[in-house]
Amino acid sequence: MTTSCSNYMSIDDIISTNERIPCKFQVQVQRLGFLDSSSDTDHIQPNTKLELPFWLATALCNRRRHIVAVDMPKQYKEGYREILTADANVVDLHKLGPYYYTFGSHLLCFELPETPDIAKSLLQTFQSRLRKIMDASQNAYYEDTTNLTAKLDEMERDLFKCGQQGLRDFQRWETRASEQLKTSEMVINHRKRKRAVMEETS
Amino acid sequence: MADLTEELEDESSEEGESMTAAEVLQKLEEAWLNEKFSPDLLEIKNDIVDCMLEQIKEMEENIRRAKKGDFRVGIHKMEIDRIRYFISSYLRTRLQKIEKYTAHVLEQEKARGSDETPQMSPDEYTFAKEYSENMENHFKVLALRHMPPNLQALDPKHTVMRPNLDSYVFLRVNEDTAGVLVEEETAEAGEEVIDLEKGDQLIIRYRPVATLVESGAVGLI
Amino acid sequence: MSMDPAEVEFLAEKTMVTVVPNFNQDKIYLIGGEIGPFSPSLPVDVPLWMALNLKQRQKCRIQPPEWMDVEALEEVKQKETDDKFFTAMPSNHYMEITQLLMKYAPEDIPRADQIRTLIKDIWDLRNAKLRSSIDVFVRSDVTHAKLNHLTPMEINTARPFLTRALDQMHMLRTNTQTGLKQTQE
Repeated sequence: MTTSCSNYMSIDDIISTNERIPCKFQVQVQRLGFLDSSSDTDHIQPNTKLELPFWLATALCNRRRHIVAVDMPKQYKEGYREILTADANVVDLHKLGPYYYTFGSHLLCFELPETPDIAKSLLQTFQSRLRKIMDASQNAYYEDTTNLTAKLDEMERDLFKCGQQGLRDFQRWETRASEQLKTSEMVINHRKRKRAVMEETS
Repeated sequence: MADLTEELEDESSEEGESMTAAEVLQKLEEAWLNEKFSPDLLEIKNDIVDCMLEQIKEMEENIRRAKKGDFRVGIHKMEIDRIRYFISSYLRTRLQKIEKYTAHVLEQEKARGSDETPQMSPDEYTFAKEYSENMENHFKVLALRHMPPNLQALDPKHTVMRPNLDSYVFLRVNEDTAGVLVEEETAEAGEEVIDLEKGDQLIIRYRPVATLVESGAVGLI
Repeated sequence: MSMDPAEVEFLAEKTMVTVVPNFNQDKIYLIGGEIGPFSPSLPVDVPLWMALNLKQRQKCRIQPPEWMDVEALEEVKQKETDDKFFTAMPSNHYMEITQLLMKYAPEDIPRADQIRTLIKDIWDLRNAKLRSSIDVFVRSDVTHAKLNHLTPMEINTARPFLTRALDQMHMLRTNTQTGLKQTQE
């Protein structure tokens, strides 16, 4: 999940690079007019504004190529950063996300003037929301946790799960539940499948 | 039953000092913990594993020779089971890492000089090579050969999975170690150097202490 | 990599405890060292795994470790309440040893119920302390922390959350540093 050791096969990585970002074309692009549904020209005209997925935007805007100019999505701009500074804990980060941190980290590669502020905001937001995530993950053993995680972005949800896992493993050990052997789910499913197959053939 | 606590020659120690079976068992336990918690594959502790397997074999011989109903047999069997658990869990943890970071560990093994101790045992190396070939072949048969010609190769630069050496670990200090560089100098702060005191427990990134784990100056917990 | 609490318990079973055997037996030469000799009513030190095995075969009584005593534990609890930092536990495996003895040899432990409650209180106190210090740690800009006196079971329970949180934070912090470098270039 982290960019420092991103995983080629990671589905989270793939989804998070599919998030869209506002782009403005700097040059005319031949025969790609169909990408812009609001116009019926064959070519994309300079100054056309389109939202492109991150992976495409990085191919069109980098140190070598400047086919498009990118702008930051609004949830990373100053207005939203101020809200997060005021009280990060009340913000529904999943609505702004769902890969708020990961996608935000990806965006830094465009090296816009506000990049350092975005990076700082991401770190501070994470730091100030952590306590609540930790406490929530330690206080909800068997309840439905969807309301606790609703406002968390995917990275925070992953963290919440880690907190729950530590607690749950300990609890299982403490109540000696780990000593009671259970049929594994796989075997049960296998039996069900087998029965289904038998019923079909009979 | 024979006395099995006889001194064993430990080939790995440079001073040629000998170790008791109990000390080797202690080393096995440490190796198991280190392997369990380090993100990277560590050097195989073949001499420890071999020594313990030898001990188990001898002990099992003794058990076979023991009189029926000998009170000690159950105790010895229990101890053997415990040691077997350490060994198999140790080797299995290593296999999991080899499967996850196949290309990476093969690369690293290749980069080692012929005079250096290998990172993997010969069996592990064979496993890694076969596993890597099988996976490559599997991808080819399943998907790559159906792709347009310019997309039929995977670029190792992007696809090779590497362990995150910056992940955090818990450790206990076994030997006083001064001057460990924890943070490189950055634009906003100078470098950070710490002294480790025997007995201290820390949570810290793996990278700055990796060599200390390998040398035994610290142990992961 | 993670560890199952049962594996932490497995490590705890190496701890030496005193048993009072009801049989005669010469020294036993284990790979891990020699044990015994055993004579009826003479206390002898054995690893916990062996003590539990002998107990199940009704070959001994287990003497609770010195620290497993109501007065002693009340003192430990008081110290843990008063001190801002983690205090040194009388045993690095206090939780596992208590659990195992309560399960396999409850009749050998005087005032077992009180002890069980005290141990649980101490565990909870330390856990709350750990959570507060994690919060302080994360909000500060330090990159590593000393966690002296934290026992293996406590570390193991906190491990999944704490290591993942710090890994993610390291990534976000690295972002801010590369950001700075770029503006300087």
